[in-house]
Amino acid sequence: MRRVLLNRYTLVLGGLAVAVIAWNLFVATHSDGRIEGHVVGPDGRPVAGALVTLREKTLTTLEPRATVETDGGGRFAFTGQRVHHFVLEASKEGRGTSGRIDYRLAFRGQNFSIAEPLRLHL
Amino acid sequence: MRRGPTWPIHLALLAVSAVMLMPLYWVFRTSVTGDNIFAYPPALLPRHAHLYYFVDVWYYVPFARFLVNSAVVSLIAVASNVVLNAMAGYALTLEFRAKRAVVLLLLSCMMIPFQATIIPAYLITKELRLLNTHLGLALPLCSTIVCIFVFKAAFDAVPRSLIDAARLDGLGDLGILARIMLPLSTAAVATNVVLAFIWSWNNFLWPLIVVRNQEMQTLPLALSTFLSYLENTTGALYAFCIMALIPGLVVFVLAQKQFVEGLTAGATKG
Repeated sequence: MRRVLLNRYTLVLGGLAVAVIAWNLFVATHSDGRIEGHVVGPDGRPVAGALVTLREKTLTTLEPRATVETDGGGRFAFTGQRVHHFVLEASKEGRGTSGRIDYRLAFRGQNFSIAEPLRLHL
Repeated sequence: MRRGPTWPIHLALLAVSAVMLMPLYWVFRTSVTGDNIFAYPPALLPRHAHLYYFVDVWYYVPFARFLVNSAVVSLIAVASNVVLNAMAGYALTLEFRAKRAVVLLLLSCMMIPFQATIIPAYLITKELRLLNTHLGLALPLCSTIVCIFVFKAAFDAVPRSLIDAARLDGLGDLGILARIMLPLSTAAVATNVVLAFIWSWNNFLWPLIVVRNQEMQTLPLALSTFLSYLENTTGALYAFCIMALIPGLVVFVLAQKQFVEGLTAGATKG
């Protein structure tokens, strides 16, 4: 029995199977599709009421998926987004736009919090 | 006998190895950076490496489906290869009237390229209603003449006395094959498995002819379809190549010892 367990085929294929199962469990428990962040102005202060648009990047196109408005603290959140490669753009009339910023995730629907705020500029 | 220094030989071998492995390294490097091959100046080491191209490949095309198709077809090919080639190899170790003619026929068939027999192969597969099926994809690879002779060479090394003793004990030919020949020829089995797997995994022409819809595509065929997308898919394309390459590499690395033993069995006497 010990010889079978220590056989290189068992170790390699078994290890691969364990890694695949562990990864799938991790994906299943972290894939609510929540993407959150916050928007700041040129002065670095949070911007309320800015429109943030999420576009999914496919192999050939950029498809708009959702638009949300920032709250009083400049925070925004998308939920249920089954994307792994997307572009965010924030804008507010009179305050400017952040431009399109590209983000990539490790798997579709990964919960993601944007490290750098979306900075508006005129 | 005094030996000279070995470092010049090792240095030369390292240089040759580097040259031979450079294309593979370049494919891997491009899969993690996405740099165009014509970029100037070319960078040997990857800059800003990431694994997102692999994620792109997984989601942009039904990669899991293609992987399953390739795995099923290879499994059928490997299993049938081991069974059928072992039986044919064992038959060639026995003495029968037209043995020489059969061996000559098999050797002459090895000289006919698969491309020359594609039309009759297609018509037979069509008549059997196996077009666009896993079995139809594996059918031409269910037996290979090279592996028949690998088995023959391995079975010839088994002492006759062992087989005679087995016959006296009442074992038939199938029993001798299963209980005596195959257990003593693990190297030949491993060689057969590795060769059958690699040939079926990398097969492109036959799936191109037999497959009718995207769901039944194997990895090499899917890769050619992937090529027809936008030009700027260099990183994803090379990531696809790496992902298609990994299973074959894993199988070969695991079985390489027995593979080499199987190919060199009988090369030296004693």
